Amino acid sequence: MAAEPSSDPSALEPQVSAAIVRCAAGEKAALRLIYDLEAARMVGVAIRILRRRDLAEEATHDAFMRVWRSARSYDPSRGSARAWLYAIVRNRALTILRDERRFDPEQQADTDLPQPDQALQRLPDSSALRQCLQQLEAGRRNAIVLAYVHGFSHGELAGRLGMPLGTIKSWIRRGLASLQECMG
Amino acid sequence: MTPDRDDRLLAAEFVLGLLDAETRAAAERRLASDAAFARDVAAWQKHFAAFDDTADAVVPADDLWRRIEAGMAAAAPAALVTPPGLLRRLWNSLGALRIAALSGTAAAVAFALVAVVSLRHADEVAARKPVYVAILVDDATRQAGAIVNAFADGRVEMIPLVDMTVPAGRTLQVWTLWNREVGPRSVGLLDRARATPLDLQRLPTTAADQLFEITLEPAGGSPTGRPTGPILYKGTTARTL
Repeated sequence: MAAEPSSDPSALEPQVSAAIVRCAAGEKAALRLIYDLEAARMVGVAIRILRRRDLAEEATHDAFMRVWRSARSYDPSRGSARAWLYAIVRNRALTILRDERRFDPEQQADTDLPQPDQALQRLPDSSALRQCLQQLEAGRRNAIVLAYVHGFSHGELAGRLGMPLGTIKSWIRRGLASLQECMG
Repeated sequence: MTPDRDDRLLAAEFVLGLLDAETRAAAERRLASDAAFARDVAAWQKHFAAFDDTADAVVPADDLWRRIEAGMAAAAPAALVTPPGLLRRLWNSLGALRIAALSGTAAAVAFALVAVVSLRHADEVAARKPVYVAILVDDATRQAGAIVNAFADGRVEMIPLVDMTVPAGRTLQVWTLWNREVGPRSVGLLDRARATPLDLQRLPTTAADQLFEITLEPAGGSPTGRPTGPILYKGTTARTL
């Protein structure tokens, strides 16, 4: 069954990969193409971590600057172009999150707590990530999802899940080890 | 736990963003020097990337692109503009290889290309090499007639390897086909065989398995906008290593 390009963002992979290669040659139109294809979802990814739209746009801005400057370091043979792109925007969002926490530690006292199941339920049934995460014990699974999707630190996970820090660290490591085995 | 396994978990925690500042900085430095670790990180990024596609699309404010564009102008350009055709210059300077190619087959040309690339400073060539190469072959004789090089910046060039005979009142026309529904598009007209840039600016970026062919057409080019004359040489693009 062919998915609609708009409903299956992973179908954008070849276009994004080619555009990053063109960015490496200094072609500004290629960066604009990546922006048109991916910026809205990049803001969406950053909002889940930062929970503020202005900061999420800041992270997206920084990510595009980084893509422009380091497109040459993108190696198409090594991995997915979109994974590379989203790793950059997550990275920027996490850096901004850490800085914000430093200046405003109360920021996290927020009633609208992210639900780990929400992102999990949105993964396609056929997704290996979903199938492998579902095999994990719930605590380990929730800790990993909250860390990746919402940028939770070990300390925040301990608070949110009501467990000692040492337990959280061990849950994460054991959960990741099982995930590694399952995903190969 | 084995060191390999420890490293994979470290890579995973790095991707999740769970490392403390010092360990994170060490992992970032390691990415540049340790290929196995960089592979582990890329593998985890790919595993978790499925989550990124579950985020809602949030259309950014109008000024976001303007700010990015302004930043781009201020930032150093991503790369200096690629100097034209290093490979072509190498090609011309290596007469022996050229003769081999002139009398040879597609395989000989492919071999010669590999030889040229491996002969020279690998890094310098890597920065300027074509992303895709097509070797255009005569279907009947299997003789290679031309090479098409497509570069990362969108430039595409054709380099003939044989002196194609063009009768009076006729012209060589170069076509490319990337989508059967769209059909072949003309990308160049030549009165004789010579190295020439091809005009693909308004076409989608050249990709793997894209067909290039040279046909013999009436002077001024095919009257129908489609190839009408005999196909002299054709070949499809392959990604360079």
